[in-house]
Amino acid sequence: MEDNTNKAVLTKCTHCKHEMSQPLLCDHCETLNPLPSFMDFFQLMGLPRRFEIDLKTLHEKYITLSRHSHPDFHAEDEPDVMALAMTVAAAVNEAYRTLSDPIRRAGYLLELLGGPASAQDKSVPGGFLNTMLMLQEELEDARVAADAAAKARLKQVLLTQRDGLLKSVERLFADLEAAAACEATRQQQLHEIREQLNAVSFVRKSLSQLE
Amino acid sequence: MNAQDFQPLPPGKNNIILGIDLGTTNSLAAVMTPGGPRILRDKDGNGMVPSVISFGPDGRATIGSAAKAHAVENPLCTVYSVKRLMGKGMADLREDLRVLPYRVVGDDATRLAAQTQAGKPSTTAGAVAAASSGHADTTTAEGGCATEAGGARPTESREIVRVDINGRLMSPQELSAMILTELRQRAEAALGQEINQAVVTVPAYFDDAQRQATRDAGRIAGLDVKRIVNEPTAATLAYGLDQKQDATVAVYDLGGGTFDISVLRIAGGVCQVLSTHGDTHLGGDDLDREIIDLITGEIRSRFGQNIQFPPSTRQALRSLAEATKVRLSDAEQTTVEIDLGDGRNFQRTITRSEFESLAAKWLDRTIENSRQAVNDAGLSVEQIERVVMVGGCTRIPYVRRRVGEYFGPGKLYTAVNPDEVVALGAAVQAGILSGMKRDLLLLDVTPLSLGIETLGGAMGKLILRNTTLPCQAGELFTTYVDGQTAVDIHVLQGERELVKDCRSLGRFQLRGIPPMPAGAPKIRVTFLIDANGILNVSASEERSGKQAAIQITPSHGLTRQEVDGMIQESYRSAREDMAAHQLIDTRNEAGRILRAVDKALVNAGALLTADQRANLDATVAKLKTLLEGSDADAIYEAVQAVNTAATPLTQAQMDEVLRQTVKGKKVEEF
Repeated sequence: MEDNTNKAVLTKCTHCKHEMSQPLLCDHCETLNPLPSFMDFFQLMGLPRRFEIDLKTLHEKYITLSRHSHPDFHAEDEPDVMALAMTVAAAVNEAYRTLSDPIRRAGYLLELLGGPASAQDKSVPGGFLNTMLMLQEELEDARVAADAAAKARLKQVLLTQRDGLLKSVERLFADLEAAAACEATRQQQLHEIREQLNAVSFVRKSLSQLE
Repeated sequence: MNAQDFQPLPPGKNNIILGIDLGTTNSLAAVMTPGGPRILRDKDGNGMVPSVISFGPDGRATIGSAAKAHAVENPLCTVYSVKRLMGKGMADLREDLRVLPYRVVGDDATRLAAQTQAGKPSTTAGAVAAASSGHADTTTAEGGCATEAGGARPTESREIVRVDINGRLMSPQELSAMILTELRQRAEAALGQEINQAVVTVPAYFDDAQRQATRDAGRIAGLDVKRIVNEPTAATLAYGLDQKQDATVAVYDLGGGTFDISVLRIAGGVCQVLSTHGDTHLGGDDLDREIIDLITGEIRSRFGQNIQFPPSTRQALRSLAEATKVRLSDAEQTTVEIDLGDGRNFQRTITRSEFESLAAKWLDRTIENSRQAVNDAGLSVEQIERVVMVGGCTRIPYVRRRVGEYFGPGKLYTAVNPDEVVALGAAVQAGILSGMKRDLLLLDVTPLSLGIETLGGAMGKLILRNTTLPCQAGELFTTYVDGQTAVDIHVLQGERELVKDCRSLGRFQLRGIPPMPAGAPKIRVTFLIDANGILNVSASEERSGKQAAIQITPSHGLTRQEVDGMIQESYRSAREDMAAHQLIDTRNEAGRILRAVDKALVNAGALLTADQRANLDATVAKLKTLLEGSDADAIYEAVQAVNTAATPLTQAQMDEVLRQTVKGKKVEEF
């Protein structure tokens, strides 16, 4: 794994060539810069590339970057700057949306680390499908019987499931970070994270059907 | 235009951006000043302009209160609630057409396509050449960048409606433009300068077609719409200006024709919309209709099922229902009385609780929407600290009670003027855009999911509802058959799983793909929803990287050429209006001088010489003949001739007056 965790990524302003202390808006000439193509969402938000992040820092950074790039603040600019502001703000929004949600963040990080996408690896942890099938049946019964108490209980079960799975995702990412494993072990770890994430997506879908 | 004379302008700016609340029943405009947003009012203090347009027999339009006053006597030529027609097709409007007294007709897409054929942009020649008629084509392909890889165009025939005023077909956009023009002119009169930019508000739950229609209406009215803002968000901007504390608020906006509920977080100069929900077909109009149905139902059961309600009666019933609804906000009951002619008199007392039971199902829907919005925000209802009440209907005690019951006691905030707060917020947004106000950051969301049709008629979502704007999503398209050169993309908006249950925004065809084996071409299509909530689509071929910009023209919208045509038309009618005005003024002037000459002849006619008298009589006769025609210039000249010929008379009259005065007085009095 390349070492890019805690370092700020410095770039030069496309307009005045001064070094910029943060992406997007130049401290020197206040020119809005395009998003450097090499920059990932963690770098854009000035965060270490890891699963556990400080959500408050993320939100603060998001607001700062939004103040720099939001089209509202470039409405009087030249059309090309307005267009740039639109795409940059869209990227900032996407970065925040991805990182602020643990499931999206995990999926994004997994792929950054070279892990499989959900389309490539659809497996789930052993025993999970059986548990879910039973839960689905109970859900269906509760729905047909319009049993509010049963629904509330099942919702709680699903929430506990979701949180448990996310906890193990967190642990697996931490393991990955802790030890530089051989490539085969690493791929196995990434595969395990994908399994857990697939399971979380499944649980989340069941939860949304409950509402 | 003199910028320095106008105090609300920040230094260096010479363009005012008007904030406009274009409402279903009333519209109003506001402007940002250093002291905060201000509603623009006429000399009587009225800010609200009823969103009503009335056409006279000569085709001339009257807008606002004057138009509303004519609604009953002239129901077929008085257009109201035009906002309900914006971006809609006939199929969407069945319920409305039942009650609208004026005529709404579907439009013949083929005929429209024929009209637009002439004005097609030549830069898209490659793509357009193959276009069969019957399609509304309107890519705004920027410059010459429609390349072999990326020419795209909507290929679905549209469904749009027109209002038929004595055979003159007018689009909802043109009608809305008339209201916007009225507001613009009032603002220009109040501010003493030309205005050509605006922020216009729309219901948060407006779809792409409705937003585009609103922006087109602005263009037709000579306004560059700098931003489309969601009404509940605008209300929050105005409300949030005075709030020092961070809070999670809900905005409950029940207007004349639409309902919105938005959940927002206001903290540290940031207004972040967390979720929004609503119904663009639910408002005060529906409550009025319940009362109308009650009354007409009882009239029929009492006086016969075959009683017909002509447009003028329907219009009168509508006014009556609206007044009843308003009265029941204060009174416990009110009596309606209708003279049906032929000695038939209908009288009925409606109590507040009766009205409430009629309104209940509509309020249920608003509460269900509210529940959904709170849920989508990831919050529980207890976490909502305040509910800002917006829209005239939130004055109804029953509405307040129901909203209070759902959100919890003591949370309702009714201190804002529910009719004005949206326009004020639009002005705040205008202030942000013009750079007057930089400390407020507004983050709004898209109300509906956006997707494309996938195999088997399913909707594949690319952007989920409540995603912060601007936002974008890319999708890679390829070919299924060897040598295939075009790919169809059907863009949709909505939450349902099947295409048939979603709103079609437009169907695009990517053309001119180089013939390659199936699956080889890779065309990346980017869907970007801008800060206005309007979709922009661009496409590029991955291999060549060639770019083409396409703006979607919705299945329910006007083409660029049509809008341009309407702008020309509005210029032409503005010129005609001016000419008509001139004629009226000249006629008035002629009438005034003829009366003055008659009066002077009685008093001093005897003092003229025979020649002078003959000359004057001849010019007067000529003017009277010309007044039967409508040549303003000729009348003007004839008026001047009478003026000249009457000079001796005026002189003689003056002399006479002076002589009379002197005769009655002693010399020393001078």
